[in-house]
Amino acid sequence: MEISDENFRVWAEQNEVYFDGVFRLAGPDAYAPIYSLISGLLHDGHKQVTFNLTGLEFLNSSGINLLAKLTIEARKMGDLLLIVKGTHQYPWQAKSLPNLKKLHPLLDLRLA
Amino acid sequence: MAPTVYGIESLTDISLDSGTRLTLTDGPLQLGWKHSGMTADFIAEVMALPFSRSRKDYMQAHHDIGYLSNELIENAVKFRQPGEILIEAGISEGSFLIRVKNTIDGATASRFQQLLRRLQSKDPGELLLEQIETNAISSASGSGLGLLTLLSDYDAKMAWAFEENKNERIILTTTAAVAMPPSSNP
Repeated sequence: MEISDENFRVWAEQNEVYFDGVFRLAGPDAYAPIYSLISGLLHDGHKQVTFNLTGLEFLNSSGINLLAKLTIEARKMGDLLLIVKGTHQYPWQAKSLPNLKKLHPLLDLRLA
Repeated sequence: MAPTVYGIESLTDISLDSGTRLTLTDGPLQLGWKHSGMTADFIAEVMALPFSRSRKDYMQAHHDIGYLSNELIENAVKFRQPGEILIEAGISEGSFLIRVKNTIDGATASRFQQLLRRLQSKDPGELLLEQIETNAISSASGSGLGLLTLLSDYDAKMAWAFEENKNERIILTTTAAVAMPPSSNP
């Protein structure tokens, strides 16, 4: 399944979710379909789920809120390993992704 | 009546007369959400140019200016009362500065001032995590998360001036600064 518009694309392949492009949606309601897509995957019975953000160029604060909310969702499911793959290529990632690790210390954050 | 100022008061006096000035007006095409991203991209394109000698500095400057501008303009578009949004931006004394002025209603102003008072007594990084936890159990928007990311993740210096206007409306002027070139940050 995939959600996209002219600026971004988000899709899942097995237990990995890919984010691509520029996400500047207007708030929690606008991000709700993406939240449902990924929340569904978290509850699909996988042992681990990966958020692949290496193509995620820009994310506004409502989008950061979405990632944080999903991280908390994963934290609540004690036996699920959440891996977050990021990149130093997009400066916001090194600034804001460490907050996810503060929310969920068992999260595996890989910034390359 | 003198405006009520929160944050770093001295920022409100800095003149941006020699910078870029943009006015977003409710014209026949109407001001919409997508204009915040377009305007922020434009400001980042123009203001990051002086850093183009180093690719790393340029990318960092372009991103930081783009994120900061986008958050402030998104807030203005989201919370404004009908009327224009005035944006001034410039590079001054090693910092990128942006000032956004728009009108809001009294209820929005009091809600916002409540958040700013909490900021006076608490570390923004701590408040950011608290706010994220709160947002995870409610779907309310307008939580101030964008401002908290600016203060905590971007080390932005900020000031907010509230000035009473007629018709119980408030003129809100937000000024924000981040250090440039970004590689001079610790």
